[in-house]
Amino acid sequence: MNAPAETGGNGAAYWDPYRPDLALDPYPAYRRLREEAPVYYNETYDFYALSRFSDIDEHFANAEIFSSARSDVLEFIKEDIEVPPGMFIWEDPPQHTVYRGVVGRVFTPRRMNDLEGQIREYCKNCLDPLEGTDRFDFIADLGAKLPGGVIGMLLGIPDNARDVIRERVDSSLRTEEGKPMEVRQASFQGEGYEEYLDWRAKNPADDLMTMLLNVEFEDETGTRRKLTREEVLIFVNVLAGAGNETTSRLIGWAGKILGDHPEQRRELAADLTLVPAAIEEILRYEPPGPAVARYVTKDVEIRGQTVSAGSAMLFLLASANRDSERFPDGDRFDIHRQGPPHITFGRGIHSCIGSALARVEGRVALEEILKRFPDWTVDAAEAKLSSSSTTRGWDSLPAFIP
Amino acid sequence: MAKINYIEYSGEERVLEVEPGQSVMQAAVAEGIPGIIGECAGNMSCATCHVYVDEAWLERTGSRGETETLLLEEVCDPRPNSRLSCQIKVSESLDGLVVRLPARQI
Repeated sequence: MNAPAETGGNGAAYWDPYRPDLALDPYPAYRRLREEAPVYYNETYDFYALSRFSDIDEHFANAEIFSSARSDVLEFIKEDIEVPPGMFIWEDPPQHTVYRGVVGRVFTPRRMNDLEGQIREYCKNCLDPLEGTDRFDFIADLGAKLPGGVIGMLLGIPDNARDVIRERVDSSLRTEEGKPMEVRQASFQGEGYEEYLDWRAKNPADDLMTMLLNVEFEDETGTRRKLTREEVLIFVNVLAGAGNETTSRLIGWAGKILGDHPEQRRELAADLTLVPAAIEEILRYEPPGPAVARYVTKDVEIRGQTVSAGSAMLFLLASANRDSERFPDGDRFDIHRQGPPHITFGRGIHSCIGSALARVEGRVALEEILKRFPDWTVDAAEAKLSSSSTTRGWDSLPAFIP
Repeated sequence: MAKINYIEYSGEERVLEVEPGQSVMQAAVAEGIPGIIGECAGNMSCATCHVYVDEAWLERTGSRGETETLLLEEVCDPRPNSRLSCQIKVSESLDGLVVRLPARQI
């Protein structure tokens, strides 16, 4: 397929999550979708996409019509995969409500802010050995380590075991360039965590895994019970997976965007109190999860167009974040932007449960980087971007340090 | 319609005309008032729509629910007049309501 960017070859607005040229810079295509095809239908891959902020704001939180029960990944929805119980991110109420309630209190703003000291310590351990270096890789040196380290800290899993598990999870969701994800690659049963779980059951500690093993809750049938071993494994797998790649991508995007905007980077380095706002702007500008899919449970009319039951709908959060109707001059990166929050963490019952953790990690990581490396230039020739129907970001982002 | 006065942490005031039935959070998010996030859209899981209700309005805004009370222990800088604004439903009787926003949600 050698069609020019943003079109399907016939001049009409075109976008899909697989074409490498669109993955590199999807924003011109998103803009055309917003302007010319706000209720976009892609014939090649048979999905719909919403791209305007107002449409996404109106429909994304409507879990009754836009269901997560067949997952939130386009390829999985199309394959109609069987979602194992406990995979709460891929469930609808009432099961989702019960499961989310079990972990809901764990990731609150206060508890995540309490982790700041430990997160900073972890950053220091990653960054201090690099003192005096002339080259720093935002992913290899920090982005690939910190999020897994923090989620491991929460779960109570030692560092070396985590690396093995992370490699397995990452490769299970990796796609071949230009192609949809293959369902058979996916694993969500929590393989790899069993032995730690069994060990933890006998050696309880003040960690998330122990909490999951002991928590009592009322399930959707009204029965008071504990989570089964299978459910705990799935929870652990979901939390470890979700908290890993996305935050790594956030750190990578911070490196890329601030590399492209040296004046704003210098301003930040001179005044670290600007970092929280900068993280919000980075999250708006380049969301690690640019699109989220839902299964359409019944016919729904959007802008006069009927989207029929059984369709797959992609919500292009990255496009909504650039919609100038909501974010004036949306394609401009500006850490001083005042105004409404982005929609990167979603909206509604499935909104990111780890958003407070991601924000603390992003803030602390950026502060610790800027303290040591106030200046850098991205080595564009060696940087490697990867993109799937769910995430987009840097696998490697080396930078020259002056 | 009811007038709701949102006072940002910086002191900046914004008065919104809100239709009864909407929550104080919904109206703020729809207008894009910075300082109220409301990611979970009123499902009481994100705790990012924390406000301080002006003392004069505490009685009329009602009392905290059970889940809300638990979540308000988890916000930044909770106070006795803290509420989740998604749980305050606007009615004509709240015309003139004053809420102050915390220094940060997260």
